[in-house]
Amino acid sequence: MSRSSSAEDIPDQCKDLFTQDGVLLKACLGRPVTDLNSIGMLCIVQNHDSSKYIEWRPNDLITIDSDTQDQEWAVVNTIGRRQRTLSGNMTSDYATARARIIKIPIDELKTFRVTRNNQQMQFSTKPGVWQTTFYFQHGNAEIFVAYLKNHVKTAKTRHDRNTYVVVEPNIESQVLNKSFAELDIFTENTTDVVWNLVSNFKQRPYETTLEAFSKLTDIVYYGNEGMNGKRDVSEEVADLLTKSMSAMEDATTVTKNEEYEVISVKPTLPPRPCIPRGTPLSTEKWEGLQDTEGRVTEVEGVKQLIFRGGVAHSIRQSVWKYLLDYYPWHMTHAELRQLTKKRTEEYFSMKLQWRSMTEGQEARFSEYRDRKSLVEKDVNRTDRTHPFFAGDNNPNLVVLQDILLTYVMYNFDLGYVQGMSDILAPLLLLLGNEVDSFWCFVGFMDKIATNFDMDQAGMKHQLLQLQQLLTFASPALAAHLAQKDSGNMYFCFRWLLVWFKREFSHRDIMRLWEVLWTSLPCANFHLLICVAILDAEKDILISKDYGFTEILKHVNDLSMCLDVDKILSTAEGIYHQVVSAPHLTDQIRIILGLPTLGITTSSQSEDEELATTSTAGPSNGYTRI
Amino acid sequence: MAKTYDYLFKLLLIGDSGVGKTSILFRFSEDAFNISFISTIGIDFKIRTIDLDGKKVKLQIWDTAGQERFRTITTAYYRGSMGIMLVYDVTNEKSFENIKNWIRNIEENASADVEKMILGNKCDLEAKRQVSKERGEQLAIEYQIKFIETSAKDSLNVESAFYTLARDIKAKMEKKQEASNPAGARSGAHQIRANEQQRKPTSWLSRCSLL
Repeated sequence: MSRSSSAEDIPDQCKDLFTQDGVLLKACLGRPVTDLNSIGMLCIVQNHDSSKYIEWRPNDLITIDSDTQDQEWAVVNTIGRRQRTLSGNMTSDYATARARIIKIPIDELKTFRVTRNNQQMQFSTKPGVWQTTFYFQHGNAEIFVAYLKNHVKTAKTRHDRNTYVVVEPNIESQVLNKSFAELDIFTENTTDVVWNLVSNFKQRPYETTLEAFSKLTDIVYYGNEGMNGKRDVSEEVADLLTKSMSAMEDATTVTKNEEYEVISVKPTLPPRPCIPRGTPLSTEKWEGLQDTEGRVTEVEGVKQLIFRGGVAHSIRQSVWKYLLDYYPWHMTHAELRQLTKKRTEEYFSMKLQWRSMTEGQEARFSEYRDRKSLVEKDVNRTDRTHPFFAGDNNPNLVVLQDILLTYVMYNFDLGYVQGMSDILAPLLLLLGNEVDSFWCFVGFMDKIATNFDMDQAGMKHQLLQLQQLLTFASPALAAHLAQKDSGNMYFCFRWLLVWFKREFSHRDIMRLWEVLWTSLPCANFHLLICVAILDAEKDILISKDYGFTEILKHVNDLSMCLDVDKILSTAEGIYHQVVSAPHLTDQIRIILGLPTLGITTSSQSEDEELATTSTAGPSNGYTRI
Repeated sequence: MAKTYDYLFKLLLIGDSGVGKTSILFRFSEDAFNISFISTIGIDFKIRTIDLDGKKVKLQIWDTAGQERFRTITTAYYRGSMGIMLVYDVTNEKSFENIKNWIRNIEENASADVEKMILGNKCDLEAKRQVSKERGEQLAIEYQIKFIETSAKDSLNVESAFYTLARDIKAKMEKKQEASNPAGARSGAHQIRANEQQRKPTSWLSRCSLL
């Protein structure tokens, strides 16, 4: 091992008690303007002397640990030592970046407030001055507040319920001022413990390190209750963990062994916040968000509103064009008229390409013929029960077919793939107009292009990511699926291919799609929709011990029995649970498009493997504490 | 707990997109037909229990998406199937030509001794026919596979096709069983299922009653 130092040698012995990504520094007294508006993470950090502070770190400080092959140390990193910010040499860039860190000692904190719909947080250590302002990209400042309140005692002010006043120097920090020795974790004779640790370390460095650190980090993460009685170590720690995870069944297993005790902790997620859905974006609001010439000014704000409540049906025709990248947000009415004219011409010239093909040409053009034949077959069986597409000789079917054939000319290499008619039908139904529907369809296809890869690599990749997310968010279910030969998640194939089109009514799919098109609150939110649906079925799937075929049947039969608002709300709740989990891995961060921390866990090397090999095993239960 | 069946056979419907796989399955399992079926995305199955020479045979019939692009996913479900219906559309030359590709696909992904049958569907559409019955028969002889023309719409030969395939599987299984165990114990497949049922009595039966 090149880096032979033990954990004690790390110069900067601070522990992150909580970290939250996607936090922009908006304002800070005494800081140059160049420091502002950079993105980073906001943390609650415990110093070596047990004092705590709020710390903001710019993302460019968080470098990838080059030493990721070194599994033992990679694991140590995951428990929150500051080590990960060092990637070998302390460069001058690094030192500059370090100077940009902002620290607010919690003891000095006087008041803080949350504003702008959970997007902004301000801190003050002096009455009357907000020294620092942070912007939460994901609009989830409430999570930081929830964690911060574990460390300070606060009261809300009477005149403003978003402002918190720190009422007394927190008692808990005094408790944590004690050293680990004083916390009395090891009730046996200390020398024996140390000796056992050393001898075990020689024989099983990996497990012993984890065991020792797991005990320490458990205290840090889960509090220090129940540590006073003189009881068996495992009993105490297990008890303590059980208390803090009382909501979870089976969370802790203690394996007794002659030589040592391994306390296997299945890391659990924070409680799931219940986030109610909002009201749809209304006509008045939508008009209010455009300037006099028609530019949509507050794009992020619009997306936030749509994410929260969808779009009122009366303005969908307009809003969808923006969401599907047909209309650029910044264009004026006049510019949009120009664009529409240009796009209309473009559409009809592509349409003419196939319409002007003679019978003879077509007979000698098998690749076009094959595509056309597939389109014709699918058009005749797309949403025919809906009045808009029902009946013989329905002219809307002709439009559906024309758009799909024109898309074949637009993207001949991709051609036509089954599922595309499902994607197009609700767009045509809503927009009514052939050209608008085509360009919105193009925008939607761009978002899900990998679903239709020739080798289905995109679908397989998503199914694998879904399996990884489920393993993190609902490990018991993931383990059940793996055990029943369903770890490849193929039973979710239909959901992902056409973005749940077959699972919801027309009315509901419009709502779900417009929310997903916002790309909020994170990348791959549609996978969290899958997790939300599956999590709701978890009890049935597990308690009835459903096997391979029954799982598929049960999932297929959920079609048209799902509540879109409830699922969206659950998925958002799961999102908050996942991103605020102390054991959040880079693997999950990558899926959700969050900045990575350079933390590698043993399960990450399995990235390249197919989903059939499950990562949900007790063997890695303690690597992600 | 009383058994609801003596045998469980897993069958598979494969063939080009739009040849009528889902229609055939719907005709057989629900005895119904709908001109405007939706295309199959991914995979699904239906169940029907038939009486075969005094034995209750539960047929679990898997329906797959036809487009070639989805084959890497659908072939994952070939495993364990005991009988495969290869379906083409008599009004679509290409779907007939592709039967050879589908057979190759089976050879690569299904067990070697899987029972096969070729179905020429949509034989009610005589005016649009592109593939004669004789060509279908010829192909079947070439591969030594049974062949029948069907119409899911007119309910022609669908029933007999599934009965034929099921009977062939049953005969093959009993023959194999006799060869390996002359004392006359029942089929291996059956025994596995029976054990499974004892272990988890709620699973299969409760699902069956719903289907």
